[in-house]
Amino acid sequence: MSPSQRQADPSPGQTSPPSRRSVLRGAAGVGAAGFVAAVGVGAAAGPALAAGNSRAAAQSDTARPATGQPDTAAGPLVVYLRDAASGELDVFAGTSHAVIRDHELAARLTSAVRPSAKRG
Amino acid sequence: MSSHREAPEISKDPVADSTDVYAFVSPDAPDTVTLIANYIPLQGPAGGPNFYSFGDDVLYEIHIDNNGDGRADLSFQFRFQTKIADPDTFLYNVGPILSLDSPNWNNRQFYQVVADKNGQSKQLGSGLACPPCNIGPLSTPHYGALAQQAVHELPGGIKVFAGQRADGFYVDLGAIFDLGDLRPFENLHAQYGLGAFTKPAAGVNATAQLNVHSIALQVPISQLLWGSPHGAESDRGSVIGVWTTASRQAAQVWDARAGASVSSGPFRQVSRLGNPLVNEVLIPLGRKDFWNTEAPGDDKQFASYVAHPELASLLPALYPGVFPNLAKLAAAGTARADLEAILLTGIPAGIVPGFQNYTGPVQADMLRLNTAIKPSKKPSELGVIGGDLAGFPNGRRVFDDVVSIELRAIAGATVPLVNPKYTPDAAAALVTDGLTDSSVPSGYLDAFPYLGVPYSGFNVS
Repeated sequence: MSPSQRQADPSPGQTSPPSRRSVLRGAAGVGAAGFVAAVGVGAAAGPALAAGNSRAAAQSDTARPATGQPDTAAGPLVVYLRDAASGELDVFAGTSHAVIRDHELAARLTSAVRPSAKRG
Repeated sequence: MSSHREAPEISKDPVADSTDVYAFVSPDAPDTVTLIANYIPLQGPAGGPNFYSFGDDVLYEIHIDNNGDGRADLSFQFRFQTKIADPDTFLYNVGPILSLDSPNWNNRQFYQVVADKNGQSKQLGSGLACPPCNIGPLSTPHYGALAQQAVHELPGGIKVFAGQRADGFYVDLGAIFDLGDLRPFENLHAQYGLGAFTKPAAGVNATAQLNVHSIALQVPISQLLWGSPHGAESDRGSVIGVWTTASRQAAQVWDARAGASVSSGPFRQVSRLGNPLVNEVLIPLGRKDFWNTEAPGDDKQFASYVAHPELASLLPALYPGVFPNLAKLAAAGTARADLEAILLTGIPAGIVPGFQNYTGPVQADMLRLNTAIKPSKKPSELGVIGGDLAGFPNGRRVFDDVVSIELRAIAGATVPLVNPKYTPDAAAALVTDGLTDSSVPSGYLDAFPYLGVPYSGFNVS
C-alpha cells in the first residue's frame, strides 16, 4: 500500500513511454475488446524501450501534483486505445498515467485484435 | 438514500459507494470532533460465506476544508488489505472469533491511515485491524466487546475505527421511491387514480436490519482548525466543511489467468458525499455520476438544482391542495436561497439566533460544522429546525432525522429564514416519512464509534 497514491502522478517527462513491442506482446495476450493491453512492466522494460518510439509523442498526466515516487517499478502496465484513428494511447502503470500519440502503434494494436488475428 | 445507491454507475460498485457522512462535536469528548463515513450500502447481515469488507483497491478519504474554498486542507486517507490465513477452506472462520488475532478467523482485513495536510502526507497508523462482520452466536459470541477492540489510538490523540456497523440512517425507501409516497399522508396522495390508500399508515424503516461499513475518526478540534481566528461560535474559522470520497485507479482489467482484477494508474474519484440527499434527490439522473467525480469547490455548476429543486414542484402535484404556497413559489421560479444557504454556503450569522455555520460565498456541498457549538444536553433529532443548534445542518449526528429535516426544508419550512414575507404551508412543518431514531432497532452507542452494533445474520429474520 502506498501512503498517498493520489499524489503519485508523475510530472511531465518523468514517465517513459512503453515500447510498441511490449504493448503488442500484451495486446496479443488480451482477447478482450476495447483495445486494452496489459503486460507486466518488468517484461516491458529493456532495450526495446529505446527502439521504435521516434514517432511517439509522450505526455504525462498532470492532473495532480507529483510529490510521490512514480510507482512503475512493479505490477502491470495497461494501455487504453480509445480511438484508433487518433493514435492516442493512455498508458497506466502503478499510479502513473502517460498519454502517447503513435499512429503506427495504434494501427498495429488494432490489427492485433481483429477477428482474423491469432489470439494468445 | 441518504446516498445509498444514489447514482447509476456507483450503484454497481458497492464497496466504493458512500452512504452517509457524519460530523459532530463528540458528546462525551467535547474537545474533539467525530467524523464518520459509511460505505457498502444495504448489507444483508447473513451475506456469507464471503462477508462484506472494504475494497482493497479503493482509496477512501475523509476531507476537511477549514478556509471555505471547498477544497481539502486536511484529508484522512484509508487503504485496506485483506489477508486470508488458509486459502484451502471455504470458511470465513473455523471456530468462534473471540479476539482480533483469533486463529479461527480466516479472512481478515487491515488498514493504514495517512493524514494529508496541505499536500504533506504523514502516516498515522498501519496494520490496524478491522473487526470481523457480525455472524452469529457461535462465530462472534461477544460481538460488541470484540468490535470495541478495533478502536485504535493514533498519535495526536486521534481514535480510529473501521468496520461493520448497523446502519443508523432511517428512511422509508419502499414508500418514498414509490412515486413519493409518505405513508403518514398517503391518503392525501394523488395516487394516479388508483385508490390504493384510504388512510394514513406508519412509516417502515427500510434499513432497519441492514448494515454498512464505517470509517470513523475522533480528532481533537485543535488539529482541524488553523489560520483564521476560531474558538468562538461567531468565528467563521470555527466552521469546518466535511465530505468523503472514494477513488479507484483509472485502469482495471480482468486478468483471467490470475483470476483477479488488475488496477493501474492514478486514483480517480468515483464517489462523493457531504450533505445527505443532495446527490440522491437534487441532482438529476444524467449528472449524478459526474457529480460524484467533482470537488465541492466546483459545485457552482450544480447550484441551480439546489435553488430550483425538482421535488419542490413535485410535492404540490403529488399531494393536491396540500402545498398551495409552495406551488406558487415553485411556479414563480423563485430561487431557493434558504436551501442554497443550508446546503451550499452555510447559514450566515443573524438568521438563526446564536448560530452560524457560514464558510463564505463559495458554493460547495459539504457538511458544515461549527465546532464552537457544544453538544446539546437535550438533543432534538430535528436539529436546528427543532431548536437544537448542535444538530443538522450544523454537521450531522448519527441520530438526526435528516429525511424529515430536508423534506420540510424543501417543502418551504425554511423559506422564511431568507424571506419573512413567505408563509409556509401548514403541512411543511409536519411532513415526514413517519420515522424517528427509535426506528433503528440497534440503537446507537453513547461512545465512539457511536453507530450501533451491526445486526448478525443469525438474528435477522
